Amino acid sequence: MTVRKTPSLAVLAGAAALVTLAACDSKSQPAAAGGPIKVAASDTACEVSATTANAGNLTFEITNKGTKVTEFYLYAEGDRIMGEVENIAPGLNRRLIVEVADAGKYQTACKPGMAGDGIRGDFTVTGGVAKQNDTNAQKAEATKSYAGYIANNTSALQDETVKFADLVKAGKVDEAKAAYARTRTYYERIEPVAEKFGDLDPAIDVREADLEPNQQFTGFHRLEKDLFKTGLQPDSAQIADKLVTDVKTLVGKTKTLELSALDLANGAKGLLDEVATGKITGEEEAFSHTDLWDFQANVDGSKGAIASLRPVLQAKDPALVSTLDKEFANVQGLLDKQRAGDGFKSYTELSQDQVKEFASAVDALSEPLSKVAEVVSK
Amino acid sequence: MLFSSALIGLREGLEAALVVSILVAFLVKTERRHALRWVWPGVGAAVLLSVAVGAVLTYTTAQLSFEHQELLGGSLSIVAVVFVTAMIFWMRKASKSIAAELRGKMDDALDVGPAAVLLLSFLAVGREGLETAVFFYSTVQAAQSDTVEPLIGFAIGIAAAVVLAWLLYKGAVRFNLTKFFTITGVLLVFVAAGVLGYGLHDLQEAAFLPGINTLAFDASSTLPETSWYGALLKGIFNYSQQTTVLQAVAWLAYVAVVLPLFLKPSKKTTPAPAVAAASKE
Repeated sequence: MTVRKTPSLAVLAGAAALVTLAACDSKSQPAAAGGPIKVAASDTACEVSATTANAGNLTFEITNKGTKVTEFYLYAEGDRIMGEVENIAPGLNRRLIVEVADAGKYQTACKPGMAGDGIRGDFTVTGGVAKQNDTNAQKAEATKSYAGYIANNTSALQDETVKFADLVKAGKVDEAKAAYARTRTYYERIEPVAEKFGDLDPAIDVREADLEPNQQFTGFHRLEKDLFKTGLQPDSAQIADKLVTDVKTLVGKTKTLELSALDLANGAKGLLDEVATGKITGEEEAFSHTDLWDFQANVDGSKGAIASLRPVLQAKDPALVSTLDKEFANVQGLLDKQRAGDGFKSYTELSQDQVKEFASAVDALSEPLSKVAEVVSK
Repeated sequence: MLFSSALIGLREGLEAALVVSILVAFLVKTERRHALRWVWPGVGAAVLLSVAVGAVLTYTTAQLSFEHQELLGGSLSIVAVVFVTAMIFWMRKASKSIAAELRGKMDDALDVGPAAVLLLSFLAVGREGLETAVFFYSTVQAAQSDTVEPLIGFAIGIAAAVVLAWLLYKGAVRFNLTKFFTITGVLLVFVAAGVLGYGLHDLQEAAFLPGINTLAFDASSTLPETSWYGALLKGIFNYSQQTTVLQAVAWLAYVAVVLPLFLKPSKKTTPAPAVAAASKE
């Protein structure tokens, strides 16, 4: 204890250790969405702004609005202390940063007067060791919500296709014609998803003009030709059966599909491209001319994907969200003008000017849609 | 609002100032004023370090997780116990040699190294310094956004602690030497036992040691820490209203070992190997 340099060295070492600790701890940012979890503590209450969080570093910000000094605890099961902050005098804000690596049931507690078991509240931690930031949580939420949209439409598609095929097989041409466009609506809404499964999309949705040499003409458009142009063929019933089989296979596959937020963004854009290249030109429904039904369904599908992505986009580029809303409304307004009964006018009734108007509205919507993928992957 | 913050300031201030004031009294009483100049750098370094790190934690994105904070406070407390224990036995030796009126001999045998004085001062203040600094910044932030009462309360509390420590020093130095050593030594034994228990409790809270919920007693209602007398008890002896079994056992063991060693009459020939015994704690 006679070395003169020891004390200053010890102090320096202490300082270095502290700074290192703080630096290490600060690398992992809090996992709670939207900053710290606010806790409003009073003499009789302990209001926690969120009762769930992803595993990782949690930051609680406790404000004592009561008259007694309080403490705040985060307990694991069996009252194991995960973290606590003492001496929260009335009127003060104190922060507690606590690392929670395991998902499970936890409890928050404020202890007014720093005594007793405190005012408890349940707190759930989800996920494993979360390397997730807010964005990833939002993206996961987006894909989950879109998966719901897909599920709704595929189950409707399956039901309607079965009915449509039965009408074809029963030779009820007029009823089948009436059911045709409505059935396709569900397919057109989720087309980008269907395109993920190799040969299924062509088998279900190939157009006669796009047939490869030696490719069999099957699916909706083959039945469209039979119903609207040539009359039912000897193999129409077979084609109808095959369509049902293919659609069922597709629906089964979508159930296991893992989509990413980027898939949603690309799908939303892809649907609009479909409109621009197929529906605007009137090529899709060459025999039935129900292109506007498909048009509407593509727009619906695109809107559905954007709706799911909305929180992600809102957080990163709110201006883009308002632009998208405006342009979607514009396209929808034009479509609404062409409604007839429970559907749409035949595409052949559109004037050149109206087609042009549609084309420019679709272009105006395509432009902001093409930015979505970039914003999402930021 | 004012009162509760003042109590916290008083308590935290006393925890730091008490050992320092006894150390100063000891150095003054044993004619070792030359070592006094090592007290203030130790105190100053602890205050500056705490205030600086507190500022970094408050105003930047740097963070110190709960576990690390407790580990830091707990470990520093345990180290502080070792130093205070060493100090207790210096005092014992000093009192014996003074009783034997061997002043010259005492100077040689008991020359307290500057490093020891500095580190003891540093630890006494630094072990709870960070928690106190973070609390201080919270009162500052409240003062900027909402109310100055907590800040004023905290300042009053710290000032009261300093005044109390100064009174203790004044009172202590009025005793004759033998009495001074006995009284301050016994006081320090209990202080160190409290610091030991407190440090262990911190380590239990951070789950480095088990048994946080195994309580020896819970006096939350009879002797609450939020009362002025509870705060004083906590400030001086590190009393906890909820004392764990480990804390209680460590406290009792420390007192049971160190107090008799400190008080027992020394043999004429060899001084007791007390420091060695204490360091086993």
